[in-house]
Amino acid sequence: MFRNYFVITLRNLWRNKAYSAINIVGLSIGLACCMLIVLYTKDEWSFDRFHQKQERLFRITNTSKSPDGNVRKSGITGLMQGPSFKEAVPEIEAFLRYSSTGFTIRQGTQVFDQGATFVDDNFFEVFSFPLLKGNPATVLKEPRSVVLTPSLAKKYFGDKDPLGQTLELKNGENFEPFTVTGIAGESPSNSSIQLGMLIPFKIRLGDQPLLNEEWLNYSLNTFILLKPGTDFRKAAAKFDKIYQTLAAEEIKKAKEQYNWEDNVHFDLQPFADIHLNTEYGAANGLDHGSDPRYGYILSGIAFVLLIIACINFVNLTVARSLKRAREIGIRKVVGGQRRQLIAQFLGESFLLCLLSFVLAVFFVELALPLFNTLSNKALSFSYLFDAKLMLTYAGIFLLTGLLAGWYPALVLSGFNPVQTLYGKFRFTGKNYLSRGLLVFQFTLASLLIIATLVISQQFRYLTKVDLGYDDSRVGIVSTSRIEMAKWPMIREELLKIPEIESVTVDQGGYWGTVARVNGNKDMQFDFKIVDDNYLPLFRIPFVSGRNFNTRIASDTASGVIVNEAFVKEAGWKAPLNETVDFFYNNKKYKVIGVIKDYHSAALTQKINPQLFVANPTYSYSQVFIKFRKDKMAAGQPKLEAVCKNLFPFQPYSFVSMEEKNFNQYDSEARWQKIIGFSTILTILISCIGLFGLATLAAEKRTKEIGIRKVLGASVPVIVRTLSADFLKLVLLSAAIASPIAWWAMFRWLQNYPYRIELNWTVFALTTGLIGTLAFLTIAYQAIRAAMDNPVKSLKSE
Amino acid sequence: MITLEHISKWVTTAGLRTFLLKDINLTIKEGEFVSIMGPSGSGKSTLLNVIGMLDDADEGKYDFMGNQVHSMKEKQRSQLYKQYIGFVFQAYHLIDELTVYENIETPLLYQDTKSTERKAMVGDMLDRFQMVGKKDLFPTQLSGGQQQLVGIARALISSPKLILADEPTGNLNSRQGEEIMELFKKLNEEDGVTIIQVTHSEKNAAYGNRIIHLLDGRIEHPR
Repeated sequence: MFRNYFVITLRNLWRNKAYSAINIVGLSIGLACCMLIVLYTKDEWSFDRFHQKQERLFRITNTSKSPDGNVRKSGITGLMQGPSFKEAVPEIEAFLRYSSTGFTIRQGTQVFDQGATFVDDNFFEVFSFPLLKGNPATVLKEPRSVVLTPSLAKKYFGDKDPLGQTLELKNGENFEPFTVTGIAGESPSNSSIQLGMLIPFKIRLGDQPLLNEEWLNYSLNTFILLKPGTDFRKAAAKFDKIYQTLAAEEIKKAKEQYNWEDNVHFDLQPFADIHLNTEYGAANGLDHGSDPRYGYILSGIAFVLLIIACINFVNLTVARSLKRAREIGIRKVVGGQRRQLIAQFLGESFLLCLLSFVLAVFFVELALPLFNTLSNKALSFSYLFDAKLMLTYAGIFLLTGLLAGWYPALVLSGFNPVQTLYGKFRFTGKNYLSRGLLVFQFTLASLLIIATLVISQQFRYLTKVDLGYDDSRVGIVSTSRIEMAKWPMIREELLKIPEIESVTVDQGGYWGTVARVNGNKDMQFDFKIVDDNYLPLFRIPFVSGRNFNTRIASDTASGVIVNEAFVKEAGWKAPLNETVDFFYNNKKYKVIGVIKDYHSAALTQKINPQLFVANPTYSYSQVFIKFRKDKMAAGQPKLEAVCKNLFPFQPYSFVSMEEKNFNQYDSEARWQKIIGFSTILTILISCIGLFGLATLAAEKRTKEIGIRKVLGASVPVIVRTLSADFLKLVLLSAAIASPIAWWAMFRWLQNYPYRIELNWTVFALTTGLIGTLAFLTIAYQAIRAAMDNPVKSLKSE
Repeated sequence: MITLEHISKWVTTAGLRTFLLKDINLTIKEGEFVSIMGPSGSGKSTLLNVIGMLDDADEGKYDFMGNQVHSMKEKQRSQLYKQYIGFVFQAYHLIDELTVYENIETPLLYQDTKSTERKAMVGDMLDRFQMVGKKDLFPTQLSGGQQQLVGIARALISSPKLILADEPTGNLNSRQGEEIMELFKKLNEEDGVTIIQVTHSEKNAAYGNRIIHLLDGRIEHPR
């Protein structure tokens, strides 16, 4: 019997190639998306679980609450927490501090920037990273030892045996020899810790004993290994008391000096939870911190695509049932029972699923590189062949087969043989289910189109909006420390390059600090150390006052320039000559100028109060170069040559400011792509489904069309008759989608302090687009049916 | 074999009852060859479908070989006709996607006949109808007469006691029609199969040994 079903299914598929293709391709796209998502989820959930002791591994987290109710959570701790907690809490077996850093490495005449991590010497005992060469217990014991991965060893030593070789690392002001004591295996991609170069913590600490003030200097991750069989909550509950006792003096000092009154609470976070936790973050040497929302949204989209493909299957099978009604009648007459027919149709759906499944595997392989870019992963095709995943896929397969097959099976097997065999049968009625499903499909498609349009508009806004300053033709060169006194000489050297229009400097990176205004108000603000050319180079306009003037001594000694946001927060009516009191180092500054607000940070953040100083006690480490018009490319090699001369032993790094600004919107760019691709797939699957339905509708109405033509209907009129039904449904979908999309996109835009206004044109455009697409899909079939010779269609009756 | 008592069937449109069959009383004994005649719309096919259990009567009693068909569930009924009844249609109603061999085999599949047994039975049937050479062809590759032969072979494969034929020669030319009628006659006389056929042609009706005339859902004068 199965052979019979099988044969008839295959022959049916073969005879109706178009429908089979629609069903199989549609389903396989849906299935491929699901497979990719399962891969993705598996990778996410397996993160950091390969450590043998992961059940006992934790990270110390801190939650600090300021008196005004501000709560900040982070996974960063100071140097003291690890050793102090270990000493006082018997449940703790070991602690491990972990902090990312960078070294300059000298090899002959060449210098390299090398990212590295400071770790305590028990690193290879706490974690299960394999050590290919060296002794795990002693490898990091000596202060001047270094552990490398094979790829780094190859970079620095080629094919020589790296063990015992020395590397010259810049420690403080001098280069010192470090000995390679071990080679660690490359880390798996699903690890938060990506090994590179490991350096013992001892070298950072130097020979001095730990100072108590390190309690409050948060800069690193502290991992804790608990003894077997202990409850981490109980252990963590003891932390706050220890901190309050041991750091009491420091806390008091901070309160006196900085007005710091935060209440800090320490806790433990399971190591394996770090990856998907956005609350405490994964920073300072921990990689691939992930937002679980990506997983949810990707899964949602994959599921939606699968549902849409299943809808195609249901709709097409039901619509095609007219053709198969006779077969069903015959089977019933010769003794087939309903149960057997249900089995046959379910079997067909499963066979189709199986074919789709095979095709989906190919799609997965094709789409994997693209998917990896979108999801920021390095998934490999070989992951597919994993026992647990296979089981999941079998589950998806069964689900799809049932989802797509049960409705047609029930409907078709219920046909009455007398009606089907005597030609009385018409699969008429309103067929609300098919229409409902079609509306559902196109509503989803419209939703995604609107989302794509809005996200693209917002993205364009973020990347194209006037930032309030001119970042064109500007390059950034990171340098070693430049004493302020040396800067004029360096500037002169740089300006000798004819392609360079002007140069300026700042301290590099974002600094924030706190100071007092109006004698009683403490304010937080961004703090920039610049020279007198910074504001002119970026063409940042002044609202009042003036720029720093190097000839006026008080300007550099005690003058500051602030932005409008600062003035607003300080509540100043006449900002010029107001005082900013840096109470913690007893310095008072006077406002000499106010600039217009500009977006110094990404547009995803509000403009903060900002303050500029040109005080000579500071130093610089970032040079900005403005090139002359159309000379940016030509000037770069010359700039590099000059910089190598000016900053020896400092690796040269150049980045265009426009590029840097653009790259701030990496996450938005990714979302734009993800939603864009989903939209294309959704529209594609929905439209091929619609195409199938239109074909069947045209077939079903052949006789009607024949009669209409005989009665004198023209081709356009018939095309309109045939298209109207579907077009109405599609437009209804757009109407349903619009308010939902408006609400969703409105909510999404609230995440951005600077955003576009939702505009009705987006909705109009979507309706137009989806209507046009639907019409084009239907039109081919409608026109073909309308052009048919009525003699042929009427004779067949 | 078959006893119909006061069988009526109707459809209701806009509150008006239109009778398809009205108060039919009919007994058919095993081994008979009955022809049902009557103008279009007189209820011939409906009567045949009721006898074949494809359709329900709205009223009356139907006894088939001692089974009270009118009070049976669909499942039991289908068991019953699967075992005893073979159908032959004017439009042949072969499954286009299956070959001649597979079409004939289908009823056996639904009776859970073993594969080797099936092979033997279908082989015999092909032999008997001299269609061995055509067993791998699809219905559309055959002439009408040959298609109807396949239809009859399919009806006979499960050795039914009763064959119901709805205008079996309606789509055939007269020579092919004669062949089919001869075949029916032979089946009836040599194998003892009871046959009920619906026909328009007096000539075909004459092959049987009894003719029932229907008019507006009633039996006119049973002979």
